[in-house]
Amino acid sequence: MNAHSGVEIIAAPDDGIAPGDKLMEVKNVSLRFGGVKAITDISFDVRKGEIRAIIGPNGAGKTSMLNVINGFYTPQEGTIVFRGVERRAMKPHHAVRQGIARTFQNVALFKGMSTLDNIMAGRSVHMNKNLFWQMLWHGPALREEIEHREKVEEIIDFLEIQHIRRTPVGRLPYGLQKRVELGRALAMEPSLLLLDEPMAGMNLEEKEDMSRFIVEVNQQRGTTIALIEHDMGVVMDLSDRVVVLDYGKKIADGVPDEVKSNQQVIDAYLGVAH
Amino acid sequence: MTLDTFPKYLLANAERIGARPAMRHKDYGIWQSWTWAEQRDEVRSFALGLRALGLKHGERIAIIGSNRPRLYWAQTAAQSLGAVPVPVYADAVAEELAYVLNHAEVRFAVVQDQEQVDKIRSFAKDIPLLTNIIFDEARGLRDYDRQGLYGFADIQARGNALIAADRTIAQRWEDEVKAASGEDISVMLYTSGTTGRSKGVMLMAKAAVRAASDTVAFDGLNENDGMLAYLPLAWVGDHYMNYAQGYVSGFCTNCPESAETVAQDLREIGPTYYFAPPRVFENLLTSVTIRMDDASWIKRKIFDHFIGVARKHGEAILEGRPVPLTGRLAYALGDLLVYGPLKNVLGLSNIRVSYTAGEAIGEELFSFFRSLGINLKQLYGQTEAFLYVTCQKNGAVRSDAVGPPAPNVDIKISDAGEVLFRSPGMFSGYFKQDEKTAEVLTDDGYVRTGDAGFIEADGQLRIIDRAKDVGKLRSGELFAPKYIENVLKFYPNIKEAVAFGDGRDFIGVFLNIDLQAVGNWAERNNIAYASYQELAGHPDVYKMMAKHVDETNRRLADEPIMAGMQVKRFLVLHKELDADDGELTRTLKVRRSFVAERYQPLIEALYDGSAEKTVETEVTYEDGRKGRIRATVKVEDAKVYPAVKADAREAAA
Amino acid sequence: MEFLNSILIKPFADMVAAPDFLLQVLWEGLVAGVLYALIALGFVLIYKSSRIFNFAQGIMVVFAALTLVGLHERGVPALLAVPLTLLVMFLLALAIERVVLRPLVNQPDIILFMATIGITLFLVGLGEFIFGGENKVMITEQLGIPTGSFTFEPFGGFVSIEQKDLTAVIGSGLLVAALLVFLNKSKMGRAIRALGDDHQAALSVGISLSTIWVLVWFIAGVIALATGIVWGARAGVSFALEVIAYKALPVLMLGGLESVLGAIIGGLAIGILEKLFEIYWGQPLLGGNTETWFAFVFALIVLLFRPQGLFGEKIIERV
Repeated sequence: MNAHSGVEIIAAPDDGIAPGDKLMEVKNVSLRFGGVKAITDISFDVRKGEIRAIIGPNGAGKTSMLNVINGFYTPQEGTIVFRGVERRAMKPHHAVRQGIARTFQNVALFKGMSTLDNIMAGRSVHMNKNLFWQMLWHGPALREEIEHREKVEEIIDFLEIQHIRRTPVGRLPYGLQKRVELGRALAMEPSLLLLDEPMAGMNLEEKEDMSRFIVEVNQQRGTTIALIEHDMGVVMDLSDRVVVLDYGKKIADGVPDEVKSNQQVIDAYLGVAH
Repeated sequence: MTLDTFPKYLLANAERIGARPAMRHKDYGIWQSWTWAEQRDEVRSFALGLRALGLKHGERIAIIGSNRPRLYWAQTAAQSLGAVPVPVYADAVAEELAYVLNHAEVRFAVVQDQEQVDKIRSFAKDIPLLTNIIFDEARGLRDYDRQGLYGFADIQARGNALIAADRTIAQRWEDEVKAASGEDISVMLYTSGTTGRSKGVMLMAKAAVRAASDTVAFDGLNENDGMLAYLPLAWVGDHYMNYAQGYVSGFCTNCPESAETVAQDLREIGPTYYFAPPRVFENLLTSVTIRMDDASWIKRKIFDHFIGVARKHGEAILEGRPVPLTGRLAYALGDLLVYGPLKNVLGLSNIRVSYTAGEAIGEELFSFFRSLGINLKQLYGQTEAFLYVTCQKNGAVRSDAVGPPAPNVDIKISDAGEVLFRSPGMFSGYFKQDEKTAEVLTDDGYVRTGDAGFIEADGQLRIIDRAKDVGKLRSGELFAPKYIENVLKFYPNIKEAVAFGDGRDFIGVFLNIDLQAVGNWAERNNIAYASYQELAGHPDVYKMMAKHVDETNRRLADEPIMAGMQVKRFLVLHKELDADDGELTRTLKVRRSFVAERYQPLIEALYDGSAEKTVETEVTYEDGRKGRIRATVKVEDAKVYPAVKADAREAAA
Repeated sequence: MEFLNSILIKPFADMVAAPDFLLQVLWEGLVAGVLYALIALGFVLIYKSSRIFNFAQGIMVVFAALTLVGLHERGVPALLAVPLTLLVMFLLALAIERVVLRPLVNQPDIILFMATIGITLFLVGLGEFIFGGENKVMITEQLGIPTGSFTFEPFGGFVSIEQKDLTAVIGSGLLVAALLVFLNKSKMGRAIRALGDDHQAALSVGISLSTIWVLVWFIAGVIALATGIVWGARAGVSFALEVIAYKALPVLMLGGLESVLGAIIGGLAIGILEKLFEIYWGQPLLGGNTETWFAFVFALIVLLFRPQGLFGEKIIERV
């Protein structure tokens, strides 16, 4: 028996997009809350297989952008092309079925459930047996449950969280909760993984772990990742391309080195008046 | 075939109890298991693969990682080819690792994962001989240069391909194993070494087998037993119990999922044979105490009542001494309500035999576990003896001594008070260090243990201290620092103590608080603190420590030999002694001289009468960065009691 | 002394002296308790999945019972009227989700609570408009519920159990069991619990809010119908029935708003205790009619000692 045969079984699903092609494109999106403009006419794309960062100072509209992408918000103008389909609005659960998974800045987990159950919940998208079988809870549904459990165990092994498998997540320290949340998103086997400040509130060691996981997910599983991050240093190391937002507008877009030397970006981060 | 090597036992067990489990490992949330027959096949294919890769008879091969089936198999595979496995501490820093690998002249290393590969490669130029690394877990190694890097499964596949090509190869391998000599070196264990570089202790196969056989018979271990393998592979205790005794008795070795899951894995496995250093038992008791402090009053009442019953009758029942019927009934009820569930939670329900060693264990702590019906005993040993020097018999157990000599072991005390032994498992010498070997051997063939001790009236050995640490105060009084430290450490609030006094006027002590216990106490008493340093320096904590020191002095005053060793001044250290800072060894023993040097200003403060002292200390964080912390440490005086005269004690008694 | 005796000793002496009567009292308490538990479950389900305290639970009982009886009055056979009523309750759930809940997503809890008051008023109006305001009789026999009674003679005494009560207890028990299995074992049930735990997390694993809301309101409708039939069979069908929904309030105080088990045990406990109190303490000492207030007082006293209720999570304020 090969104890570690299962490594890398969970991979990004085949979504018909060749690596390097556009997986998602945001086209001229604007979002307003009443009279307040959160996002103004933003366009950018995410290529399959890359780590794409969206950065910007506080209130730049980063989280709003993610919320538009995964269907929490409907933009007033503009469209989103995902896997070749163009649309303006999408309900969150449709976004999930289309292969978009995400994590949240403040961690959204089922606090009363164990780590295992939380990650299992991520598998629910892939559970196909009908209500009848679920009610009876035998046969095919049970077999399906076991298959899902195997995938979940791989994720637990990957994220090195075996010791908290049965712990209710509400009792875990913040850094570990973030890891569980990443696990749940991975369990969905997404085409596109959205991470909202994955390293917020972490200590240095936790940040290093998290960076390692993100890079490994991207390289070993080929998952496309779009992440928001406040910490410039981390972003520049991790990502292939960076979009910079400021006051809801796009002010730069390119590889980290370009962005770093862009005067507008420097001004935005240093808080120079507009 | 005479069973005088472990590979021979592998073949014999695969014949005798081939369908019984030899090894389990929790992986992906499930306990995977391998029978003895399967284990033989795993070992065989790996051995043949290793030979194809060029491993030769007499060569050494490093084994680095945590307790994993494949790392145990790699040892047997190496032995089956006449090569010598050298288990190395997995958490050793890269320099230490490089020293050992270099000294042992290994060309091969079987490692657990990327971390070990990285460590070895970072020192590649210092260990030019080591050209072949075989890893268990592939994770993270995908993009590594494959030159000299192999997967464990790939090597096995190579072996299997050879078997498939030529059926007779498997049989020939078995024949070679059967024909092998018990005079070969079985394993080389590097001692962690409280002083100087670690030394490679060579153990001969037939000696190792004989030592293990004696103790397997002593405790009646057999193939129905099971043990959790959670202590470092490179430590003699793990190699002795999980490897040597495992092979000889045929019991099942269970490898935990990870270091963090040991407690849960223990519960799931419910081993019958268990070893843990006193520290682990201490942590178990602390966690039980904390849980009971948070429980409802009714549960607490029930718990306290039945723990009282257990203290009264538990050990007597365990040892088969007479107990009144009412006591037996109360104990049986307690077993149903408290001891049973408690042992179950701790994973100790099925224990038949368990040992503790390495440090002195507190009387309270020791009898707590025994009173629950856990057959906990003490042993004393060292790498040079292949573990056992003394061990306690069932029913003849005490906390302050470590037992009579193990079967076929001779011990005696030298004129200087040092314990000497001669045993069947005795080592064959230190690798490439004949002069060191000569230093520890006496002319009549005994091994110097380096420990000072004496033999009690009932034949049990009692250890006072390291022989070289025992010194004298300026007044000529005996000074055994470890003894004082151990008395202090029996208080759950004191995690570590370091005593000074050799050549001085009196004894001064550094104390380390136990963050868990003291932190809990602080929480209950609404004492706010932001850091370890702040808590350690808190006036109330000082009061608590002063009380402990005072009680310690009273206790010392009670024993005629020890009365001169009372503590006169003490301080509470502002930082936890840490292996990463070199203050503790990897087995978490205090490195006294290092601590003394590092905290020289504080020692001065102990002896120059000052009330406080400001010091700055360098610390290493977990990620390897260094930083400095500054603190003002208070020094306090303690009361010294007059010695209780022996005749006065008799009169009182 | 006399007084203490009448509180502390006499009631228990009475219980022991007439064990058959005690059994009868316990049975009556159990029947009421099962109903309380059922209604409390309706509240708990909706609260768990959407943080809404559903003020309309009571009127839904009336509305369901009225619809059932009304349909029968209009010539629909009783056994067909039940599924038709269920259909009506389903449409009601659908309408509530579409018209009330969906537009109010992300509004403060209190707004949603007010909305359920609105639903209550609307249903009162609608019920009166369609079925009229006069009292009606539950179609117990037509539904095939036996109306006789069993008698036992334990301890040489006499206990009578009405068959419709027995049916109610068994029926409600089965309904509760089915609900528990559904909640714990099915995907939908787990989705309901997930939503109760964390909204955002539930959405992000692909749970559809609308579907779950329709589902829980429909379940609340099913419970309302069951309660309506049972209670209607004992007390007739009228708008006064709405009041029994408020019997669930002390049960919720005891059991906690989020605990399914708490609702069940709390309901049974209150049903039995209030009956015992009424018979052995209330009637001889207080002139009876204690059932109207006993449950509230009892719940308040329990809360004094256990602020989180009997089954609530221990409330720990992190400093």
